[in-house]
Amino acid sequence: MENLIILILTLLVAYFVGTKIIEKKHYRSILERERKFLSLPAVTAKTIIAEGRAIQDARLVTGSVVVSIDYFKQFLGGLRNIFGGEVGAFETILDRARREAILRMKETAEGADIIISMRLETSTIGGGEQGKSIGCSEVIAYGTAITFKK
Amino acid sequence: MRYVPKELTGNVNISRRSPLKELANLLFSLSATIVLIYIALGFLVDIIIPWIPQGVEKNLGKFYEPLYLSQHLDAPFAETIQKLLDRLTGDLKPNKGYKVYVVENSQVNALALPGGTIIVYSELLKQLGSENELAFVLAHELGHFDHKDHLRALGRGLVFFVVSSVFFGQENQVNKFLGNSLTKAEMKFSQRQEQKADFFAIELLVKRYGNASGAIEFLNKIKEKEKMPRFFYFFATHPHPLNRIRAAQDKIKKEGYLLKEPVALDAAFKEFFKKDKN
Repeated sequence: MENLIILILTLLVAYFVGTKIIEKKHYRSILERERKFLSLPAVTAKTIIAEGRAIQDARLVTGSVVVSIDYFKQFLGGLRNIFGGEVGAFETILDRARREAILRMKETAEGADIIISMRLETSTIGGGEQGKSIGCSEVIAYGTAITFKK
Repeated sequence: MRYVPKELTGNVNISRRSPLKELANLLFSLSATIVLIYIALGFLVDIIIPWIPQGVEKNLGKFYEPLYLSQHLDAPFAETIQKLLDRLTGDLKPNKGYKVYVVENSQVNALALPGGTIIVYSELLKQLGSENELAFVLAHELGHFDHKDHLRALGRGLVFFVVSSVFFGQENQVNKFLGNSLTKAEMKFSQRQEQKADFFAIELLVKRYGNASGAIEFLNKIKEKEKMPRFFYFFATHPHPLNRIRAAQDKIKKEGYLLKEPVALDAAFKEFFKKDKN
Protein backbone atom coordinates (compact mmCIF):
# COMPACT_ATOMS: atom_id res chain seq x y z
CA MET A 1 0.00 0.00 0.00
CA GLU A 2 2.84 2.39 0.89
CA ASN A 3 4.42 1.69 -2.48
CA LEU A 4 1.29 2.84 -4.22
CA ILE A 5 1.18 6.07 -2.26
CA ILE A 6 4.84 6.78 -2.95
CA LEU A 7 4.25 6.08 -6.63
CA ILE A 8 1.32 8.50 -6.83
CA LEU A 9 3.19 11.21 -4.93
CA THR A 10 6.25 10.84 -7.17
CA LEU A 11 4.05 11.09 -10.22
CA LEU A 12 2.33 14.22 -8.99
CA VAL A 13 5.60 15.92 -8.03
CA ALA A 14 7.15 14.95 -11.37
CA TYR A 15 4.11 16.32 -13.15
CA PHE A 16 4.08 19.64 -11.39
CA VAL A 17 7.79 20.24 -11.53
CA GLY A 18 8.33 18.73 -14.97
CA THR A 19 5.33 19.99 -16.86
CA LYS A 20 4.14 23.02 -15.01
CA ILE A 21 7.44 24.57 -14.08
CA ILE A 22 10.35 23.37 -16.18
CA GLU A 23 8.47 22.95 -19.43
CA LYS A 24 6.67 26.27 -19.16
CA LYS A 25 9.92 28.04 -18.42
CA HIS A 26 11.64 26.41 -21.35
CA TYR A 27 8.86 27.30 -23.76
CA ARG A 28 8.95 30.91 -22.62
CA SER A 29 12.68 31.04 -23.28
CA ILE A 30 12.24 29.35 -26.65
CA LEU A 31 9.58 31.81 -27.79
CA GLU A 32 11.70 34.74 -26.69
CA ARG A 33 14.76 33.59 -28.58
CA GLU A 34 12.79 32.64 -31.67
CA ARG A 35 11.55 36.20 -31.77
CA LYS A 36 15.11 37.39 -31.52
CA PHE A 37 16.23 35.22 -34.43
CA LEU A 38 13.30 35.99 -36.70
CA SER A 39 15.60 37.78 -39.10
CA LEU A 40 17.84 34.75 -39.52
CA PRO A 41 15.92 32.17 -41.51
CA ALA A 42 16.97 28.56 -41.55
CA VAL A 43 15.80 26.65 -44.60
CA THR A 44 16.24 23.12 -45.80
CA ALA A 45 16.89 24.17 -49.39
CA LYS A 46 20.30 23.18 -50.67
CA THR A 47 20.65 26.13 -52.96
CA ILE A 48 19.34 29.66 -52.92
CA ILE A 49 19.09 32.41 -55.44
CA ALA A 50 21.82 34.85 -54.51
CA GLU A 51 20.21 37.70 -56.50
CA GLY A 52 23.56 39.10 -57.51
CA ARG A 53 24.89 39.26 -54.00
CA ALA A 54 28.38 37.91 -53.42
CA ILE A 55 28.93 35.43 -50.63
CA GLN A 56 31.39 36.49 -48.01
CA ASP A 57 31.27 33.49 -45.72
CA ALA A 58 29.85 29.98 -45.73
CA ARG A 59 30.39 27.70 -42.80
CA LEU A 60 28.91 24.73 -40.95
CA VAL A 61 26.88 25.59 -37.91
CA THR A 62 25.44 23.11 -35.46
CA GLY A 63 23.27 23.23 -32.43
CA SER A 64 22.47 20.27 -30.23
CA VAL A 65 20.49 19.66 -27.11
CA VAL A 66 19.65 16.73 -24.88
CA VAL A 67 16.24 16.81 -23.30
CA SER A 68 15.15 14.31 -20.73
CA ILE A 69 11.79 12.87 -19.90
CA ASP A 70 10.33 13.13 -16.43
CA TYR A 71 8.90 10.23 -14.47
CA PHE A 72 5.33 11.32 -15.01
CA LYS A 73 5.69 11.35 -18.79
CA GLN A 74 7.50 8.04 -18.74
CA PHE A 75 4.70 6.46 -16.73
CA LEU A 76 2.07 7.91 -19.02
CA GLY A 77 3.99 6.70 -22.07
CA GLY A 78 4.22 3.23 -20.58
CA LEU A 79 0.45 3.12 -20.11
CA ARG A 80 -0.07 4.34 -23.65
CA ASN A 81 2.04 1.43 -24.88
CA ILE A 82 -0.71 -0.93 -23.79
CA PHE A 83 -3.60 0.61 -25.66
CA GLY A 84 -1.80 2.47 -28.44
CA GLY A 85 -2.57 5.89 -29.86
CA GLU A 86 -0.81 9.23 -29.78
CA VAL A 87 1.69 9.53 -27.02
CA GLY A 88 0.99 13.16 -26.27
CA ALA A 89 3.34 13.10 -23.33
CA PHE A 90 6.40 12.75 -25.51
CA GLU A 91 5.38 15.33 -28.08
CA THR A 92 6.36 18.32 -25.98
CA ILE A 93 9.77 16.83 -25.22
CA LEU A 94 10.64 16.41 -28.87
CA ASP A 95 9.11 19.71 -29.91
CA ARG A 96 11.19 21.56 -27.35
CA ALA A 97 14.31 19.65 -28.28
CA ARG A 98 13.92 20.42 -31.97
CA ARG A 99 13.29 24.10 -31.46
CA GLU A 100 16.06 24.44 -28.91
CA ALA A 101 18.54 22.74 -31.24
CA ILE A 102 17.61 25.09 -34.09
CA LEU A 103 17.97 28.09 -31.79
CA ARG A 104 21.38 26.99 -30.65
CA MET A 105 22.40 26.47 -34.23
CA LYS A 106 21.25 29.98 -35.03
CA GLU A 107 23.24 31.29 -32.10
CA THR A 108 26.45 29.81 -33.45
CA ALA A 109 25.55 31.41 -36.79
CA GLU A 110 25.43 34.90 -35.30
CA GLY A 111 25.90 37.50 -37.94
CA ALA A 112 24.96 35.28 -40.86
CA ASP A 113 22.17 36.16 -43.24
CA ILE A 114 20.69 32.76 -43.86
CA ILE A 115 21.25 29.16 -42.96
CA ILE A 116 20.70 26.78 -45.80
CA SER A 117 20.63 23.02 -46.08
CA MET A 118 19.43 22.68 -42.52
CA ARG A 119 18.95 19.15 -41.26
CA LEU A 120 17.65 17.78 -38.00
CA GLU A 121 18.73 14.49 -36.55
CA THR A 122 17.75 12.81 -33.38
CA SER A 123 19.02 10.03 -31.20
CA THR A 124 18.10 8.54 -27.88
CA ILE A 125 20.49 8.40 -25.00
CA GLY A 126 20.26 6.37 -21.83
CA GLY A 127 17.05 4.59 -22.63
CA GLY A 128 14.75 3.12 -20.06
CA GLU A 129 14.15 -0.58 -19.36
CA GLN A 130 14.90 -2.67 -22.39
CA GLY A 131 14.46 0.28 -24.66
CA LYS A 132 10.77 0.40 -23.99
CA SER A 133 10.74 4.01 -22.93
CA ILE A 134 12.77 7.00 -24.03
CA GLY A 135 15.25 8.13 -21.41
CA CYS A 136 16.59 11.30 -23.02
CA SER A 137 16.62 12.40 -26.60
CA GLU A 138 19.35 14.35 -28.28
CA VAL A 139 18.52 16.54 -31.25
CA ILE A 140 21.17 18.03 -33.45
CA ALA A 141 20.45 20.71 -36.03
CA TYR A 142 23.09 21.51 -38.59
CA GLY A 143 23.32 23.61 -41.70
CA THR A 144 25.42 25.98 -43.72
CA ALA A 145 25.44 29.60 -42.54
CA ILE A 146 25.78 32.01 -45.42
CA THR A 147 26.91 35.61 -44.94
CA PHE A 148 26.52 37.92 -47.91
CA LYS A 149 28.95 40.71 -48.70
CA LYS A 150 27.45 43.94 -47.51
CA MET B 1 10.96 38.17 -53.57
CA ARG B 2 11.70 39.50 -50.18
CA TYR B 3 11.85 37.44 -47.12
CA VAL B 4 9.61 38.86 -44.45
CA PRO B 5 10.06 37.21 -41.11
CA LYS B 6 6.82 36.17 -39.49
CA GLU B 7 6.34 35.08 -35.94
CA LEU B 8 4.37 31.89 -35.59
CA THR B 9 1.56 31.75 -33.08
CA GLY B 10 0.39 28.48 -31.66
CA ASN B 11 2.11 25.13 -31.93
CA VAL B 12 0.78 22.41 -34.18
CA ASN B 13 3.24 19.84 -32.94
CA ILE B 14 1.79 19.28 -29.51
CA SER B 15 -1.62 18.08 -28.50
CA ARG B 16 -3.86 20.17 -26.30
CA ARG B 17 -4.95 17.27 -24.10
CA SER B 18 -4.31 17.71 -20.41
CA PRO B 19 -1.78 15.10 -19.26
CA LEU B 20 -3.60 14.63 -15.97
CA LYS B 21 -6.85 13.83 -17.70
CA GLU B 22 -5.03 11.45 -19.99
CA LEU B 23 -3.43 9.73 -17.00
CA ALA B 24 -6.77 9.34 -15.28
CA ASN B 25 -8.30 8.01 -18.46
CA LEU B 26 -5.55 5.46 -19.07
CA LEU B 27 -5.43 4.31 -15.46
CA PHE B 28 -9.15 3.79 -15.43
CA SER B 29 -9.09 1.85 -18.71
CA LEU B 30 -6.23 -0.28 -17.48
CA SER B 31 -7.86 -1.05 -14.15
CA ALA B 32 -11.14 -1.88 -15.84
CA THR B 33 -9.35 -4.19 -18.27
CA ILE B 34 -7.47 -5.99 -15.53
CA VAL B 35 -10.60 -6.40 -13.42
CA LEU B 36 -12.54 -7.79 -16.39
CA ILE B 37 -9.78 -10.23 -17.25
CA TYR B 38 -9.51 -11.27 -13.62
CA ILE B 39 -13.23 -11.93 -13.36
CA ALA B 40 -13.37 -13.75 -16.68
CA LEU B 41 -10.43 -15.97 -15.83
CA GLY B 42 -11.85 -16.48 -12.36
CA PHE B 43 -14.85 -18.08 -14.01
CA LEU B 44 -12.54 -20.09 -16.21
CA VAL B 45 -10.71 -21.33 -13.13
CA ASP B 46 -14.02 -22.41 -11.61
CA ILE B 47 -14.86 -24.32 -14.77
CA ILE B 48 -11.50 -26.03 -15.01
CA ILE B 49 -11.08 -26.96 -11.35
CA PRO B 50 -13.34 -30.04 -11.37
CA TRP B 51 -11.29 -31.44 -14.22
CA ILE B 52 -7.94 -31.22 -12.46
CA PRO B 53 -6.84 -34.75 -11.51
CA GLN B 54 -6.24 -35.65 -7.90
CA GLY B 55 -2.55 -36.23 -8.52
CA VAL B 56 -1.86 -32.56 -9.24
CA GLU B 57 -2.93 -31.43 -5.81
CA LYS B 58 -0.99 -34.23 -4.16
CA ASN B 59 2.15 -33.17 -5.99
CA LEU B 60 1.60 -29.61 -4.89
CA GLY B 61 1.26 -30.86 -1.35
CA LYS B 62 4.78 -32.25 -1.44
CA PHE B 63 6.14 -28.70 -1.36
CA TYR B 64 4.65 -28.15 2.07
CA GLU B 65 5.98 -31.30 3.65
CA PRO B 66 8.98 -29.60 5.27
CA LEU B 67 6.52 -27.53 7.27
CA TYR B 68 5.38 -30.42 9.36
CA LEU B 69 7.10 -33.67 8.62
CA SER B 70 9.98 -32.97 10.93
CA GLN B 71 8.10 -30.95 13.51
CA HIS B 72 4.95 -32.81 14.24
CA LEU B 73 4.25 -34.16 17.69
CA ASP B 74 4.30 -37.93 17.80
CA ALA B 75 2.07 -38.51 20.79
CA PRO B 76 -0.60 -41.19 21.39
CA PHE B 77 -3.41 -38.69 21.10
CA ALA B 78 -2.19 -37.84 17.60
CA GLU B 79 -3.36 -41.29 16.58
CA THR B 80 -6.71 -40.56 18.19
CA ILE B 81 -7.09 -37.46 16.09
CA GLN B 82 -6.17 -39.38 12.95
CA LYS B 83 -8.81 -42.01 13.80
CA LEU B 84 -11.37 -39.26 14.31
CA LEU B 85 -10.46 -37.79 10.94
CA ASP B 86 -10.82 -41.19 9.30
CA ARG B 87 -14.29 -41.56 10.78
CA LEU B 88 -15.27 -38.16 9.42
CA THR B 89 -13.96 -38.77 5.94
CA GLY B 90 -15.83 -42.03 5.56
CA ASP B 91 -18.47 -40.62 3.25
CA LEU B 92 -16.39 -38.17 1.28
CA LYS B 93 -15.24 -38.61 -2.27
CA PRO B 94 -12.35 -39.26 -2.28
CA ASN B 95 -12.06 -40.53 1.25
CA LYS B 96 -8.52 -41.75 1.24
CA GLY B 97 -5.26 -40.11 2.05
CA TYR B 98 -6.31 -37.48 4.56
CA LYS B 99 -3.68 -37.09 7.23
CA VAL B 100 -3.61 -34.89 10.28
CA TYR B 101 -0.50 -33.75 12.14
CA VAL B 102 -0.12 -31.81 15.35
CA VAL B 103 2.47 -29.05 15.34
CA GLU B 104 3.69 -27.09 18.31
CA ASN B 105 2.48 -23.51 17.97
CA SER B 106 1.03 -20.87 20.26
CA GLN B 107 -1.66 -19.82 17.79
CA VAL B 108 -5.15 -21.21 17.98
CA ASN B 109 -5.30 -22.34 14.38
CA ALA B 110 -5.51 -25.25 11.98
CA LEU B 111 -4.33 -25.41 8.38
CA ALA B 112 -5.37 -27.32 5.33
CA LEU B 113 -2.49 -27.98 2.98
CA PRO B 114 -2.85 -29.08 -0.65
CA GLY B 115 -2.88 -32.83 -1.01
CA GLY B 116 -5.06 -33.70 1.94
CA THR B 117 -2.89 -32.80 4.90
CA ILE B 118 -4.33 -31.03 7.91
CA ILE B 119 -2.16 -29.36 10.49
CA VAL B 120 -3.55 -28.61 13.93
CA TYR B 121 -1.63 -26.33 16.24
CA SER B 122 -1.07 -27.53 19.79
CA GLU B 123 -2.57 -24.38 21.31
CA LEU B 124 -5.84 -25.12 19.57
CA LEU B 125 -5.98 -28.58 21.10
CA LYS B 126 -5.58 -27.08 24.54
CA GLN B 127 -8.69 -24.96 23.98
CA LEU B 128 -10.94 -27.86 23.06
CA GLY B 129 -13.84 -28.66 25.33
CA SER B 130 -15.22 -31.74 23.62
CA GLU B 131 -14.65 -34.21 20.85
CA ASN B 132 -17.35 -32.49 18.83
CA GLU B 133 -15.34 -29.28 18.79
CA LEU B 134 -12.31 -31.12 17.44
CA ALA B 135 -14.52 -32.79 14.86
CA PHE B 136 -15.80 -29.36 13.84
CA VAL B 137 -12.27 -28.08 13.28
CA LEU B 138 -11.27 -31.14 11.24
CA ALA B 139 -14.51 -31.05 9.28
CA HIS B 140 -13.96 -27.35 8.49
CA GLU B 141 -10.60 -28.15 6.94
CA LEU B 142 -12.13 -31.09 5.10
CA GLY B 143 -14.59 -28.60 3.70
CA HIS B 144 -11.72 -26.69 2.09
CA PHE B 145 -10.52 -29.87 0.44
CA ASP B 146 -13.97 -30.81 -0.71
CA HIS B 147 -14.50 -27.41 -2.33
CA LYS B 148 -11.02 -27.44 -3.85
CA ASP B 149 -10.34 -24.06 -2.28
CA HIS B 150 -6.56 -24.39 -2.64
CA LEU B 151 -6.61 -24.70 -6.36
CA ARG B 152 -9.03 -21.85 -6.62
CA ALA B 153 -6.83 -19.57 -4.55
CA LEU B 154 -3.75 -20.61 -6.51
CA GLY B 155 -5.56 -20.35 -9.81
CA ARG B 156 -6.73 -16.79 -9.23
CA GLY B 157 -3.36 -15.70 -7.95
CA LEU B 158 -1.53 -17.31 -10.85
CA VAL B 159 -3.87 -15.71 -13.36
CA PHE B 160 -3.25 -12.30 -11.88
CA PHE B 161 0.48 -12.92 -11.91
CA VAL B 162 0.43 -13.92 -15.57
CA VAL B 163 -1.71 -10.94 -16.56
CA SER B 164 0.62 -8.58 -14.76
CA SER B 165 3.67 -10.16 -16.43
CA VAL B 166 2.13 -9.70 -19.84
CA PHE B 167 1.36 -6.04 -19.30
CA PHE B 168 4.30 -4.84 -17.28
CA GLY B 169 7.09 -7.27 -18.01
CA GLN B 170 8.68 -9.79 -15.70
CA GLU B 171 10.77 -7.70 -13.38
CA ASN B 172 8.44 -4.91 -12.45
CA GLN B 173 7.24 -3.65 -9.10
CA VAL B 174 3.74 -4.98 -9.53
CA ASN B 175 5.02 -8.49 -10.14
CA LYS B 176 7.24 -8.52 -7.08
CA PHE B 177 4.34 -7.34 -5.01
CA LEU B 178 2.10 -10.03 -6.49
CA GLY B 179 4.74 -12.70 -6.06
CA ASN B 180 4.86 -11.99 -2.36
CA SER B 181 1.11 -11.93 -2.07
CA LEU B 182 0.88 -15.20 -3.97
CA THR B 183 2.99 -17.09 -1.50
CA LYS B 184 1.02 -15.62 1.38
CA ALA B 185 -2.27 -16.17 -0.38
CA GLU B 186 -1.65 -19.81 -1.11
CA MET B 187 -2.94 -20.92 2.24
CA LYS B 188 -5.58 -18.28 2.66
CA PHE B 189 -9.09 -18.48 1.37
CA SER B 190 -11.70 -15.90 0.79
CA GLN B 191 -14.25 -15.12 3.47
CA ARG B 192 -16.97 -16.77 1.43
CA GLN B 193 -14.98 -19.96 1.16
CA GLU B 194 -14.39 -19.92 4.91
CA GLN B 195 -18.08 -19.55 5.51
CA LYS B 196 -18.87 -22.43 3.17
CA ALA B 197 -16.30 -24.57 4.96
CA ASP B 198 -18.09 -23.79 8.24
CA PHE B 199 -21.39 -24.98 6.78
CA PHE B 200 -19.76 -28.10 5.39
CA ALA B 201 -18.37 -28.82 8.84
CA ILE B 202 -21.75 -28.45 10.52
CA GLU B 203 -23.33 -30.82 8.02
CA LEU B 204 -20.58 -33.36 8.52
CA LEU B 205 -21.00 -33.11 12.30
CA VAL B 206 -24.69 -33.85 11.93
CA LYS B 207 -23.90 -36.83 9.70
CA ARG B 208 -21.48 -38.34 12.18
CA TYR B 209 -22.93 -37.36 15.54
CA GLY B 210 -26.57 -36.77 14.73
CA ASN B 211 -26.37 -33.25 16.10
CA ALA B 212 -24.51 -30.02 15.55
CA SER B 213 -22.92 -29.55 18.95
CA GLY B 214 -19.38 -28.33 19.03
CA ALA B 215 -19.63 -25.80 16.22
CA ILE B 216 -20.97 -22.82 18.14
CA GLU B 217 -18.91 -23.68 21.21
CA PHE B 218 -15.71 -23.64 19.25
CA LEU B 219 -16.56 -20.47 17.35
CA ASN B 220 -17.31 -18.77 20.65
CA LYS B 221 -13.83 -19.66 21.86
CA ILE B 222 -12.34 -18.05 18.76
CA LYS B 223 -14.46 -14.98 19.32
CA GLU B 224 -13.12 -14.62 22.84
CA LYS B 225 -9.55 -14.78 21.57
CA GLU B 226 -10.24 -12.16 18.95
CA LYS B 227 -8.40 -8.89 19.46
CA MET B 228 -8.86 -7.07 16.13
CA PRO B 229 -11.79 -4.66 15.89
CA ARG B 230 -14.59 -5.66 13.58
CA PHE B 231 -13.80 -2.95 11.07
CA PHE B 232 -10.50 -4.55 10.08
CA TYR B 233 -12.26 -7.72 9.11
CA PHE B 234 -13.29 -6.19 5.84
CA PHE B 235 -9.85 -7.01 4.49
CA ALA B 236 -9.23 -10.17 6.50
CA THR B 237 -9.25 -13.68 5.17
CA HIS B 238 -11.59 -15.09 7.80
CA PRO B 239 -14.99 -13.63 8.47
CA HIS B 240 -15.32 -12.03 11.88
CA PRO B 241 -16.08 -14.67 14.52
CA LEU B 242 -19.37 -12.98 15.36
CA ASN B 243 -20.46 -13.31 11.76
CA ARG B 244 -19.43 -16.92 11.69
CA ILE B 245 -21.37 -17.62 14.87
CA ARG B 246 -24.46 -15.89 13.59
CA ALA B 247 -24.25 -17.69 10.25
CA ALA B 248 -23.79 -21.02 12.03
CA GLN B 249 -26.77 -20.38 14.29
CA ASP B 250 -28.92 -19.42 11.30
CA LYS B 251 -27.89 -22.56 9.47
CA ILE B 252 -28.62 -24.82 12.41
CA LYS B 253 -32.00 -23.20 12.92
CA LYS B 254 -32.87 -23.36 9.23
CA GLU B 255 -31.99 -27.03 8.84
CA GLY B 256 -33.51 -27.91 12.17
CA TYR B 257 -30.34 -29.52 13.48
CA LEU B 258 -30.35 -30.71 17.05
CA LEU B 259 -27.95 -29.68 19.73
CA LYS B 260 -27.24 -32.52 22.09
CA GLU B 261 -24.71 -33.26 24.78
CA PRO B 262 -21.25 -33.26 23.20
CA VAL B 263 -18.91 -36.21 23.45
CA ALA B 264 -16.03 -35.75 25.85
CA LEU B 265 -12.46 -35.78 24.61
CA ASP B 266 -10.45 -38.93 24.65
CA ALA B 267 -8.43 -39.58 27.82
CA ALA B 268 -5.22 -39.34 25.81
CA PHE B 269 -5.78 -35.59 25.49
CA LYS B 270 -6.08 -35.09 29.19
CA GLU B 271 -2.76 -36.88 29.59
CA PHE B 272 -1.12 -34.46 27.18
CA PHE B 273 -2.52 -31.40 28.88
CA LYS B 274 -1.52 -32.65 32.29
CA LYS B 275 2.04 -33.21 31.14
CA ASP B 276 2.09 -29.79 29.59
CA LYS B 277 1.04 -28.02 32.76
CA ASN B 278 4.08 -29.49 34.46
